[in-house]
This record gives sequence, structure tokens and C-alpha cells, in this order.
Amino acid sequence: MKKSSKAGSTLVFVILTLGALYTLFPLGMALMNSFKTNGQLLLNPMSLPTSYTLDNYLRTWEKMHYLRSLGNTVVLAGAGVGLIVLFSSLAGWKLNRTKTRLSSVLLSLFVFSMLIPFSSIMIPLYRVVLVLKIKNSLLGLALVYAGMGVSMAIFLYHGFVGSIPLELEEAAAIDGCSSLQTFFWVLLPLLKPITATIVITNVLWIWNDFLLPLIIISRNQSYTLLLSTNTLFGQYSSDWTAILSALILAAIPVIAFYALFQKNILKGIADGALKG
Amino acid sequence: MKTKSQQNRTLLLYVLPALAVYTVFKLYPAISGIYYAMTDWNGINPGFSFVGIQNFSEILNDRYFWNSMGFTFKYVAAMVVLANALALALATAIESRRKVKGLFRTVFFMPNMISMVIGGFMWMFIFTRVVFHMADHWGWAFLDQSWIGDPSYSFVAILLVALWGSVGYLMIIYMAALQGVPGELKEAAWLDGAGPWQAFWRVTFPLIRHALTVCVFWTLNASFQVFDVVYTLTGGGPGRATQVVALNIYEEAFKGNVRFGYATAKSTVLFLIVLAVTVLQVQSMKRREQTL
Repeated sequence: MKKSSKAGSTLVFVILTLGALYTLFPLGMALMNSFKTNGQLLLNPMSLPTSYTLDNYLRTWEKMHYLRSLGNTVVLAGAGVGLIVLFSSLAGWKLNRTKTRLSSVLLSLFVFSMLIPFSSIMIPLYRVVLVLKIKNSLLGLALVYAGMGVSMAIFLYHGFVGSIPLELEEAAAIDGCSSLQTFFWVLLPLLKPITATIVITNVLWIWNDFLLPLIIISRNQSYTLLLSTNTLFGQYSSDWTAILSALILAAIPVIAFYALFQKNILKGIADGALKG
Repeated sequence: MKTKSQQNRTLLLYVLPALAVYTVFKLYPAISGIYYAMTDWNGINPGFSFVGIQNFSEILNDRYFWNSMGFTFKYVAAMVVLANALALALATAIESRRKVKGLFRTVFFMPNMISMVIGGFMWMFIFTRVVFHMADHWGWAFLDQSWIGDPSYSFVAILLVALWGSVGYLMIIYMAALQGVPGELKEAAWLDGAGPWQAFWRVTFPLIRHALTVCVFWTLNASFQVFDVVYTLTGGGPGRATQVVALNIYEEAFKGNVRFGYATAKSTVLFLIVLAVTVLQVQSMKRREQTL
């Protein structure tokens, strides 16, 4: 009995290791080959580089306007998430604290649309963007993300506020805090755990979203990292050393983010899904 | 004490910013879409006119649309089963480890950090360059296929990449649920003579059913809308063999035809199908959660 469970445990370990290798394989291959010359890559894509070259990185750094694309993505994700957090915490808080017909109607209005797939609103949304003249505008796009993201965030804030005792707000009111002051000084610090979850899930969503920017942003100056990468892929059709270095460059920021905040990210993902 | 109408006024003030962006960028597009779906609006003429249900009757005979729908259903079914089975198996296996738990979790989740656009291009490299090297030099002849060019293999390729990109996410959710199962219950099952297999299905599984509901819902939703993987890997080809619905709609609207009205009608059909499927799924799975 003991022996067979030990063998089973080893088998599980081996399978997990193989799975982990499969998971890392494309990343490793991309990294390894991004340092090769085209000749080396054609000869053998699976060997370590015989000599390391940074030429590919230098080429693609310029070609994809790396810093500009990165900056655009940071602005987009920062503004989008900032708006979502601010708008949703204000709304979620009051929706929970106000016990009227209107508040339950509003809450269901926000929640009901969570089922609508993006591809179903994509084209009418494109028209709204044209009419408001915010095509190619990063801040305009951040507003669009806010509009699409508030539902889930309000739902989470609304639930979380329920666990905060009302007495704290009443005490603040007695001490002479206005409603807004109470919100910023008393509530917002207490909402930190759920805010972390909301920030993480929304940063990842906006950072990695492709279809919406693909439709809204057509001007090179406003390209996000993914749009630049996509364009570069089209231009370099089969110059794989260049493409792979661009892919690594595009992946570095999220990998760094992951390395820094891994614990919070994994917790945020689980909380966002199971408590939502 | 404040009156109800005063309370409502304050409430509206606080909800207003969220309500404004939500109405403009989500609610209005969703509702106006129903109207645009009944027009001949396109990207060429400035005006458009109401055409009633003409777009919808055209959809009925749109072979390409239904082919893409069929392919999407095939993809959804495969993803719901495979992604969840794999994620649950991984979560259970990793949870049973003590020392290397954190490391495996880190590695398996990593692809979820990266956009599927980047992941898709990386895999494109694997499928067009690396596998042939493996087939030639390692004698792995089964790899010697046209992974991107042959529709039946490109379906497998798309699945391999999509699973690579989503299993880690589901695994994290299953792991969180597994951590909520009290250890005493498992021990009690062991003491009662249950094997690990039996203990899992009789004790653990019923207790993580809520996570299964959430994960299946997520997989359904995400898979019906799949775009990035297919766009980067095959672009819907060869021909239209691997075209998914989202890509079909995107191309109808933004490539070549620019038939916005017709594409919106298609997206309405997609919405109704996704709605029907997810409502059925949540209802039936919630009911099973409760009977336990």
C-alpha cells in the first residue's frame, strides 16, 4: 500500500514537471532564439546560441517604438483602472448604504449587462466612439474601458461594503466629516483588500486586451504594445529572430509585474472569481 | 433622518460618474445595436435606412456565418471539457504537494499574465519552425504535420495554445476552492476506508462544486468570444476553415465589406446564443449545487 502510493506520488511529480516544461517551452524558445542571428536560427532552432547578439533587440526596439508603446499602454491601463476604482467605489458604497427602490434598480441595471459579450456591442460602440470623436485617443479609450469595467467592480465593492460596520461612518459624521470626506478618509482605506483585487484583474484585462484597441486605435503614435507587436509581425513576416525579440520585449513588463506582485495577483484572481 | 427622496438624490450623485460611462459605452451600444441590426448601415455611405428583419433572414442563409458558428461550438465544447478537467487535475495534484507547490503554481499561471496575442505568435514559431526540427532530429514523426495549414491539425494547434493560455487561471480558482475543503473531512473519509479516488469524488468534489460552476461559466463565456488565439495563429484560415464567430463578425465589419448593420445583426445572434447557453448552464449547475 505504502509503496504504491509512493510510486503514484513520483508519477504525479513527473507529470507535473512535464506540464511545467510544456508551459515554459514557447517562452524559453522565444527567449533563446531572440539572441541568435537568422542563420543560426535556421540551422537549429533548438540549440543554444553559439554567439549572443543584441542586434534583434536593437532593431525591434526602434521599429516598434518600444518606449512610446509601453508608455501608451501604461497611460491606458493606469487611467482605465483609476477611473474604474474611483467611479465604482463611490457607486458601490452608496448603493449598499441606501436602502431604497432606486438603489436596487440601479444595482441590477449595472449587474445585468455582465452577460453581454464584447463582440455583441463592438460595432455600435465603434459608432459611439466616432460620434464622440475619441477614436485614436488613449484617454477616450480609458473611458470606454471604465464603461465596460464598472459593472463587475461595483458588484464587488457593493458586496464588500456590506462587511464594514456602519458605525464607523456615523462616528465620522458626528466628528463633522462631510459625506465625501468620510468616503476618502474612512471608507477608501478600509476597502483596500477589494480594491487590490479590482486593480489587479482590471490591469491584466486592459493590458492584455487586443480587439478593442485594434478597432479604436489606428494611429501609430497611440499604439499600445500589442498593436505595435501585431504590426511588426505583419511587417517582418518570417524574420523570426526580430519577431521573437519583439515578443520578449512585449512580455517583459507583465512578467516583471508578475514577479513583483505574484502573491497579490494569484489571490486577486481567486477572490475576484469566487466572491463575485 | 433624511427622507427617501433626499437619500435618492445623494445616491444618484455618487452613482452618476459610473452610470454615465456605463450608459454611454455599454448600455447604449447594447440597446442601439438592436436597431442598427435592422439597418443597412455601412462604412461607406454616410446615411443608412431601416430594413427590418432583412439582415436576419440573410443570416439564415449565410453559410460562412454558420460554419464559423459550428467551429466555435466545437471549440467551446472542447475547451469547457479539457480546460476544466486539466485545471482541476493540476489543482488537485499541486495541492497535494508540500515543497514545490508554490513553484508549480507560479509556472502554470505564467501564460495567463501574457496576452494571447504574444502567446499566439510564440506558438506560431513553435508550430512553423520548432516542431519540424523535432520531427527531423528527434524522430518524433507525429509532429511532422502542417499544424497551421491543415484545418484538422490547426484545430488541435488552436486548442493546445488556448489551453496553454487558460488552464492556469482556472487552476488558481480550483486551488482556492480546494483550500476551503476542511482537512478533517478528508481524514474521516480515509479512516472510513475510502481510497484517494473515492475520497475525491465523494467528499472533495461536492464541496468545490461552486468553483466548477464559476469556471465552466467563465470558460463558456470566454470561448464563445475567442478571438486573439485564432487571429494570431491561423487568422481563420486556411480559407475560412478555422474562422470563429468573433472573427467572422470582425471581418464583416472592419475588413473588406464594412457592413456594420449586417455585422451587428450577426453579433445579436451571437449574444442570444451565448445568453441561452450560459443561463441554462448556471441554472442547471446551481440546482445541482443545492441538492447536495
